[in-house]
Amino acid sequence: MSYAIETRDLTYTYADGTPALKGVSFGAEAGKVTGILGGNGAGKSTLFLNLNGVLTPQSGQVLLDGAPVSYARRDLPELRRRVGLVFQDPDDQLFSADVYRDISFGAVNLGLPEAEVRRRVEDAMVRTGVTALRDKPTHALSYGQKKRVAIAGVLVMEPSVMILDEPTAGLDPQGVSDIMGLLREIREKLGITIILATHDMDIVPLYCDQVYLLSGGRIAAGGTPEELFCRPELLRENHLRLPRIAHLMEILHDRDGVDVSRSAATISAARHEILGLLDQEP
Amino acid sequence: MGTDRCAYLSRLRRVDPVPKIWLALTALLLCVLVDSLAVGIFTLGALSALNLSLGGQKAGDLFHFLKVPMTFLIIGCLPIILRPIGTAEALWAFRLLGRWTWGVTAENLRLGLLVLCKAMGAVSAMYFLSMNTPMTDLTMALERLHVPRLFVELTELIYRFIFLLAGEAGRIRVAQEARLGYRDFKGSMQALGTLLSTVFVRSLRRGDRVFSALESRGYTGVLITLPGQYASGRWLYGLTAAIAVCQLLILAAERRLLP
Repeated sequence: MSYAIETRDLTYTYADGTPALKGVSFGAEAGKVTGILGGNGAGKSTLFLNLNGVLTPQSGQVLLDGAPVSYARRDLPELRRRVGLVFQDPDDQLFSADVYRDISFGAVNLGLPEAEVRRRVEDAMVRTGVTALRDKPTHALSYGQKKRVAIAGVLVMEPSVMILDEPTAGLDPQGVSDIMGLLREIREKLGITIILATHDMDIVPLYCDQVYLLSGGRIAAGGTPEELFCRPELLRENHLRLPRIAHLMEILHDRDGVDVSRSAATISAARHEILGLLDQEP
Repeated sequence: MGTDRCAYLSRLRRVDPVPKIWLALTALLLCVLVDSLAVGIFTLGALSALNLSLGGQKAGDLFHFLKVPMTFLIIGCLPIILRPIGTAEALWAFRLLGRWTWGVTAENLRLGLLVLCKAMGAVSAMYFLSMNTPMTDLTMALERLHVPRLFVELTELIYRFIFLLAGEAGRIRVAQEARLGYRDFKGSMQALGTLLSTVFVRSLRRGDRVFSALESRGYTGVLITLPGQYASGRWLYGLTAAIAVCQLLILAAERRLLP
């Protein structure tokens, strides 16, 4: 098991004295999707800004592919290239009124030749499905379209790790499954390691391979989604909840004494459990 | 926002903005510099025709935009045409309160119409540019024409974020109205004050987030981007020259026919 990105005892305190990270240690496996769960103010956004070098940790280490990261000024561009960050509100990220030019920004900053920048922009637009939006101004796009353009703007840097802060916030159900499908495709076709922060518990068992629970600037738990769902009290302490299906399984198991696995959190896992009870082969 | 919406639909949308700027600018300068009524009318007609034929704009849209400055100009030119004339020979005159003679002289009429036609010609040249060139292309072209980078970057950021701020202010206003703000003058002033301060504070915070986002994409102090590929607009230079020649010919003809 190799980590694409790993932190050891990472601490960060804001200038006004608010401690945001108090020794965070976690790792995101290469080529996998790692979820970071946590209520509001748990430190998710601060952690991400540290990983990408916008903020510099006070102590602790970040390792990229096993090698410690340097936060020296001249090494920052390379760190920011390798760890791409997609912000929660695309209106914070898209600074240009021209879709094409906004996407090109990261690639131009890498100092690539023009032909290479154009190739990457075209490629990123095709992958995120925004080619048809190239002639539209940013302010005419829908929220979901802006989110795709923001992702394309990070893809042009060809990062090895892509971090997304609440990628599904503010999207309708169709938008959520479109964006998550896009992320799955990016992971599978480009092999990019994905880290995402979310409150949306129902997408966790569907898309995450590993999850960490961030609480008060510390990692409170980590493991596969199923492992975490076996500790619902921990989730509830942190203003989170079980996915709806896992909650149903918990009630069936604890209150009704039905012999189902409490960790079944997706429709297909629940279907398997129910058919098992009925002695039918799925 | 007005002409900008047309620009994104224009047939000249993908054409290099620099020749478009030169065409509009040349026509505008010639129209303003030579004192000729006929050149003004010609510029208005020619640039409007180009706007419709090359840009593919709708005549209704163009007329809609021309109407606004036209109203102001007509009102503005009236006092030039109709004013105290003393003892000069008048085409039409009347006595005001029995003491002053007001009226229209041939000279004043010519002057008023000249101002009107020159201004409308200039306006149509600007509309040709702004209805066929999106703002972002225009700022990009300014940079190529060696306008200071700081100015260009500020223009671009302001243009992008003005839509967000306007949207935010609109939403706050609706929320205030839903709670009975703006009912009387005093309440309106209070609500407007709160709205402005909220928008200000929010934009400060947004500014911080935008800066973080720029940094995370490798921002080092200059906002350099690559525009989409433009279609060459060199043929527009030929058109620019043709229009300039026509303007000068019309000027010469006017001078000869009307002494």
